[in-house]
Amino acid sequence: MTDAAKTFVETYERERGSLPASGLVWLSARRDAAMKEFAASGLPHRRLEDWRYTDLARALEKASVVSAPLHKGDVALPDATAINVFGAVDRHVVVFVNGVMQTKISDLPSGVTVVSLSDALSADWAKTLVETRVSDAQAANVTALNLALMRGGLALHLAKGVKLDKPLHLIHLAGDDGASHRRNLVRLDDGAEAVIYESYVSAGATNYFDDVVTNVSLGAEARLTHIKVQDEAAGAVHLATLTAALAAKSYFSSFTMTLGSALSRNQTFVRFDGEGAQAHVNGATALRGRQHGDQFCIVDHAVPSCTSATLYRTVLDDASTGVFQGKVIVRPYAQKTDGRQMSNALLLSRDAAMNAKPELEIYADDVQCAHGSTIGELNREALFYLRSRGIDEQSARQLLISAFLDEAFETVPDDAAREGLRALAADWFRLALKEDA
Amino acid sequence: MLEIKNLHVKVGGKEILQGIDLTVNAGEVHAIMGPNGSGKSTLSYLLSGREGYEVTKGSVTYKGQDLLPLSVDQRAAAGVFLAFQYPIEIPGVTTMTFLKTALNSVRKARGEEELDAPRFLKLVREKAKPLNVADDMLKRALNVGFSGGEKKRAEILQMSLLEPTLAILDETDSGLDIDALKVVADGVNALRSPERAMIVITHYQRLLDYIVPDVVHVLSKGKIVRTGGKELAGELERTGYAEFAA
Ligand SMILES: Nc1ncnc2c1ncn2[C@@H]1O[C@H](COP(=O)(O)OP(=O)(O)O)[C@@H](O)[C@H]1O
Ligand SMILES: [Mg+2]
Repeated sequence: MTDAAKTFVETYERERGSLPASGLVWLSARRDAAMKEFAASGLPHRRLEDWRYTDLARALEKASVVSAPLHKGDVALPDATAINVFGAVDRHVVVFVNGVMQTKISDLPSGVTVVSLSDALSADWAKTLVETRVSDAQAANVTALNLALMRGGLALHLAKGVKLDKPLHLIHLAGDDGASHRRNLVRLDDGAEAVIYESYVSAGATNYFDDVVTNVSLGAEARLTHIKVQDEAAGAVHLATLTAALAAKSYFSSFTMTLGSALSRNQTFVRFDGEGAQAHVNGATALRGRQHGDQFCIVDHAVPSCTSATLYRTVLDDASTGVFQGKVIVRPYAQKTDGRQMSNALLLSRDAAMNAKPELEIYADDVQCAHGSTIGELNREALFYLRSRGIDEQSARQLLISAFLDEAFETVPDDAAREGLRALAADWFRLALKEDA
Repeated sequence: MLEIKNLHVKVGGKEILQGIDLTVNAGEVHAIMGPNGSGKSTLSYLLSGREGYEVTKGSVTYKGQDLLPLSVDQRAAAGVFLAFQYPIEIPGVTTMTFLKTALNSVRKARGEEELDAPRFLKLVREKAKPLNVADDMLKRALNVGFSGGEKKRAEILQMSLLEPTLAILDETDSGLDIDALKVVADGVNALRSPERAMIVITHYQRLLDYIVPDVVHVLSKGKIVRTGGKELAGELERTGYAEFAA
């Protein structure tokens, strides 16, 4: 077992009695079982197919993995672009520090259930969500770790037909070094609607492990739009698992913008449980230095007549590495499935590398599925053309890179947020220019 | 304005231009004709500063200065403009954004004030109208899905916005029907002025009926083999390029 894995096991032994809702018998039993499962398998290693390109165990050898302290003091919101990107939108803001909700500086919507994880765990809906297994993939061992140690997070429950009045912006701040395992639970009953933004940034921490699991469950015709920006500190490890179970005619749209951390992995598991549902899982990634960013996505068409679309755009500078592993599964009974996935990467440097593995697993015959991946460089002809019109080289590069990422931003169903993401990408580029100069 | 002396250029290790001499004065329009593969596009790319073109001998002087050390965008700012034989498609960049970025880059480099959005819009509409370039086309990604004629009209629109002093048109007539050809020629003629020089590269005399040149050159196997007045174009049309075959 690696040192990091040992630390997690020891942490659990020490903190078992003080974890949130430790009085709940079902939860303690689940936590014990999960930790046993984790201890048996350890952290994922590269011999596992799902982890072939991302060495989480190794990254965690360098990261601080003892539990980050429960942050009690007041914090000021950092003036970070990854937060301000949603600034133009009238929204509810909920702040978390090291995973723990800071109710004093948050503006919680009224009339709906938005509570901290620990307050939610005694409710039946939360129990159901925590116990849902959306996928049997090799992600299981990291979600087991999260289940054992989960401490903070958000729980949102919208009753039938309730529409959240404004987007809910979750600002996750890393205030101290160390590991924080948090769990977000989102349950929208039939016909309910919500928009959730998330920003992940550091507020002082430099060496930390963010382990986030988000479980989403949508009732019939419920609609959830989720837009996340991850711009963690350069020394951070960011592991985010999102599971979504979609009932009939529900709509789920998730967009992840990845800019920060030394190593990040977003793993998304979508399962269709009812017919006529739609899922859009998209993202844009821009990395530099020695950053590593992994987008892993499995969409499981378990029922007929559902639509899924995935588009990831990745820009890699310097010696950064990108990963895309995606799979669309169409079960035998899932006729009339429309499933698409595409990964496009743009390498700005000879030392940058992209690993892409799109897969289709189709057991039905009346389906429309397409998948693919491309890896390329900036088009020299296009650069020459732009420069021949007086546009200097850096501006020409910026135009082409922005245009490349823009195809991903086009998938964001929220105009204001889309503009914010564009500005964020432009910011990333300006920094690259400064470093080159 | 432009003085090319004994210019030898290698592309991909092969000598394509083999001693070009050409002087173009302000106010003049020169036509360069010649068979396919004679080096016409090579000359225009070399002048615009494209990479991969190695000058092994000779010189190019523009407005009294050595042109060759200047980068592609510096040349554009200095007034060199190439209307491409095959304009490049750029997905994701709208024609409008591109035009504004280009115009303001050039204005900035020339020490002129950059235009804000309303002033730019007014100017671009004014220049686009006679070229039959509709707003809808300006909103589309640059050259993506444009017809052959639309691409060429977009090139002339760029030229009229950037107001070059040396305009090189590389087979701007290819793929155009007669109506489109007239629109393009009118656009080019509107830019003729005593301060501006033009090099019109074409395979056919047809374009030169509308853009009447002062001087006609024939390029063959990387050399200018004949120079004459506008009547030379008519002569070539009758005899063909057989005697100059590449
Ligand atoms: N990138 C290149 N590498 C090698 N040969 C080239 C390249 N570009 C053009 N050539 C060659 O140079 C010659 C002149 O081409 P070009 O200038 O395009 O002719 P034209 O425009 O007169 O038809 C042709 O023989 C062509 O094959
Ligand atoms: Mg040519």
